[in-house]
Amino acid sequence: MPGGRARLLLSLAAVIVTAACGAKRAAPPQVRPVPPRPTLVVLLPDPETGTTGRARVFNEFGSTDLNAPRAGSLATGTAAPGSVTTMSEEEVARVFGAALAALPPAPRHFTLHFKFESDALTDASTAMIPAILAAVRAMPVPEVAVVGHTDTMGEPKTNLALGLKRAMTVRNILVEAGLALSTLDVSSHGEADLLVKTRDKTPEPRNRRVEITVR
Amino acid sequence: MSGLHRFGGVVAFVLASVTPVAAQQAVPAGHIKTVSGGAFVVRENATIPARPGEAIFASDVLRTSVGGAIGITLKDDTRISLGSDSEVRIDRYVYAPGEGGLGMVLKFVRGVAVYVSGRIAKLAPDSIRLESPAAIIGVRGTTLAIRVDS
Repeated sequence: MPGGRARLLLSLAAVIVTAACGAKRAAPPQVRPVPPRPTLVVLLPDPETGTTGRARVFNEFGSTDLNAPRAGSLATGTAAPGSVTTMSEEEVARVFGAALAALPPAPRHFTLHFKFESDALTDASTAMIPAILAAVRAMPVPEVAVVGHTDTMGEPKTNLALGLKRAMTVRNILVEAGLALSTLDVSSHGEADLLVKTRDKTPEPRNRRVEITVR
Repeated sequence: MSGLHRFGGVVAFVLASVTPVAAQQAVPAGHIKTVSGGAFVVRENATIPARPGEAIFASDVLRTSVGGAIGITLKDDTRISLGSDSEVRIDRYVYAPGEGGLGMVLKFVRGVAVYVSGRIAKLAPDSIRLESPAAIIGVRGTTLAIRVDS
């Protein structure tokens, strides 16, 4: 491994320099490298969906893959990360309970659709507004990002403006419903961020949308 | 499995290169959402008491005292929380999917923390690196709990 060789060369160089200095003055006190502090890594199920992802814990000596709920590996930094041990739910709560309790709620995403070449919401989307407001109220210090999108009918520049108009429509609905303006961030991606990829000049209702992130 | 092997190669390459120190950007990386007890943001050598709603920037350090806790949500929906007497540094944070700029480096310095991956992990998982003193962690859409012993 090139890293290992470089380190060896460095240590050799250090020995030579130390030896050279030693001839002139007293040897410096021995400094032992401090071993890195151990790290415990535990894979947890997603707090909202319950699904478990995967992770790899590695250092210069090797690696350990984690892919089951509460699978953990202890790395000491002087050897490959330890083999997988499964923690009990009680252990996870004991060690990580305070950090888990401080975890903010998962951001929520909503997509509202518009009538063709219009900034009026479809009826189904109008019906979603109460759920959005509820999501905002459930958040500690909520931020709401409102991003307008269009399909590829018309010119990109016009669509950027139309996207912004749609986002403003949604913003106004949310403000009228009582959301503080300071929590809202409004922008437009026009036709540059299609949900459904289409050719230019293609009417596609699913692309005429405003995406709302509540976090 | 082949994905994970490739992942090892990429990580080795990243390790060989020097991590650039992210300049503080005007655009926040995210916001503080929860605070209890002693919790602080260390920014350019100033230690600021953490308050819910305040912005977090790349290169900020999150720190808690004994009994303290803090939780933040970043722009890509990544969530990070710290328990008692803990420290995590946001070494690098880039979330500009339109321009293709994505990346995150977190340094778990000490104590306990929870990490829940966001959109960067979906769009560019190899651009994420979680560092601890004894190991580095590569993620694939993951919730992790990490403890760094003192």
